[in-house]
Amino acid sequence: MEKNLYDAPAAKLRVLKILGGSNLLKKLSVMGIYEGSLIEKKLGYKEGPVIVKVKNSEVAIGHSMSLKIIVKEEK
Amino acid sequence: MKIILTGNPNVGKSVVFSKLCGYEAISSNYSGTTVDILIGKAKIGNCDCEIIDVPGVYSFEGESVAEKVASSIIKKGDYDLIINILDANSLERNLLFALELLSLRKPTIFLVNKYDIARNRGINIDFEKLSKILNVAVIPIIATIGWGFDVLENEIKNFSFKNKNYVSDVSIPPNTLDKWKMIGQIISKVEKIEHKHPTFLEKLEVLTTTPSMAIPFGIIVIIASFWIVRFIGEGLINNFFDPIFNNYYYPLIDKFRNLISSDLLKNIIFGKNPVAMEGFGIITTGIYVSFVVVLPYVFSFYIVLGFLEDIGYLPRLAVILDRFSHKIGLHGYSGIPLIMGLGCKVPGIFSLRILDSNRDKIIAASLMLLIAPCIPQTAMIISVLSKYSIIYTFLFFLYLFAVGIITSFILNKILKGSSSDLFIEIPPYHIPVLKNMLFKLKIRIIQFLKDAVPAVIGGIFLINILDILGFIERISLFFAPFFKNIFSLPPEISSIIAIGFLKKDVSITFLVPFNLSLIELMVSSFFLVTYLPCLASMMVLRKEIGNKNSFYVMCINFVVSLIFTFLFSILLKFFGV
Repeated sequence: MEKNLYDAPAAKLRVLKILGGSNLLKKLSVMGIYEGSLIEKKLGYKEGPVIVKVKNSEVAIGHSMSLKIIVKEEK
Repeated sequence: MKIILTGNPNVGKSVVFSKLCGYEAISSNYSGTTVDILIGKAKIGNCDCEIIDVPGVYSFEGESVAEKVASSIIKKGDYDLIINILDANSLERNLLFALELLSLRKPTIFLVNKYDIARNRGINIDFEKLSKILNVAVIPIIATIGWGFDVLENEIKNFSFKNKNYVSDVSIPPNTLDKWKMIGQIISKVEKIEHKHPTFLEKLEVLTTTPSMAIPFGIIVIIASFWIVRFIGEGLINNFFDPIFNNYYYPLIDKFRNLISSDLLKNIIFGKNPVAMEGFGIITTGIYVSFVVVLPYVFSFYIVLGFLEDIGYLPRLAVILDRFSHKIGLHGYSGIPLIMGLGCKVPGIFSLRILDSNRDKIIAASLMLLIAPCIPQTAMIISVLSKYSIIYTFLFFLYLFAVGIITSFILNKILKGSSSDLFIEIPPYHIPVLKNMLFKLKIRIIQFLKDAVPAVIGGIFLINILDILGFIERISLFFAPFFKNIFSLPPEISSIIAIGFLKKDVSITFLVPFNLSLIELMVSSFFLVTYLPCLASMMVLRKEIGNKNSFYVMCINFVVSLIFTFLFSILLKFFGV
């Protein structure tokens, strides 16, 4: 089921879509987050940042940015 | 031979740097920015090398100031060899920048650092295979203990005798997504991750990022840091710097006082009266403020900050503070200058450079100057109000805090744009290396001495000139009726306020002889705390965020201070204090 990263459960996730301009896409892709990439959500703060593991390193993503990343749980 | 050190942030670049250059290095500012670059000299084999520590970068596409500076240095090509450092724990992520570097076709060596930590965490890397695939020398190292550096030295020797090719010819796709594909294939061939029981540090990482535990832990860390800064800072002042100044320095320079015949010159150099803090002499008050009042706090502050930085806690603190910070127009990282400003504004202002946008800097600077009286000021306010019920002290700080929050809330609405979103790497914890911490401390103290001390002394000189020209007296006469009518304060204290920004903590004690009532004391203290930053922070602010922005910040401060001082006096009277 499609969800944004903020609402998604703490699990392995596949990035389906990133709702943002080219700057955001660039910023995220440099850290390894792009359409099709596999990430693992570790935890999220209520109305705060989400921490994900990507390419074997951990990254904190701010609240409004996390709403723009659409993911699907990877079984 | 000129060598540049490159790599992602948090890969241990500065440790490699100090291992190569020893602990002698100079920090120099990259012109037009607030980015500082370390340059050192090393003798490797028979070869004299100049080594340049380039700021950490995730990619040439990066947008931050540090990343732009790094990209421009690397792309300029004005060097002989690139040593790129990768973190064995996040090799995959690190390879993106590594591939970007290889596509420049410059002589390159890769160092894969933190080999020991990666092994403990179950990460196995086939370095030989990686080297073959990328056609570049790949050396595993443990920078903290110097393991692997002999291999590096050999490679550098080989390079200088030109008996091996160091320019990779592997074809690299130009766009980022294709690079990630290539990296995926490389990783599947060279890296195996086996499951291991989490190490102690890994358990601590989980504990201090899980919200329910992280927030109380964060509060404890902040309070403890604050207490340690104060303990070390005050200890140094009372037991070391102040006695040295009063018992040795002052009596010594006082002997030279009579060598100068001109009274005017004597006043400027030695001050009008023999009390070090009041005379405003360049070599009395100037030296006292720089070395006895500010330096000990800068020193203790950087010890604590360096420790939190090296262990890897600051990004976690930024995560915890993020939600609250966004409400007042900042992101989590801005909490850090703010917390620093509680100790002493000078290091707080220095740390504004971790923020990228001007907007963030203006809001954080205004908030810091309003909300966070430095430790000496806080101590003075507490002591001045101590003869009244503790409720008033509490009320005072509560009001100060509320004013800060309201102001940045309003600034957030007024200033164009919105606060940038947090997007940072959360590095694994590391046990700090003492030698490295001391090295960083030294660099920072030298920077403070270079930046802040001349500024303070210059400022005191300026005050003297203004005083001689009768300017200060005029200002205080001009404001006297204003104090009387608007703030209901005795007009005499305007003279204290006119020069109060020089030494804000001391100026609060100057209020005592006027026998002010409780309301007058609270109102005038509030004004003294907020109306202007102290001389040292004013000078550092100008240097750090530029003339225009610091002018804005000081105007914001002054206007907010006038409005809320007025409001404070009305509120206090209304509630019949």
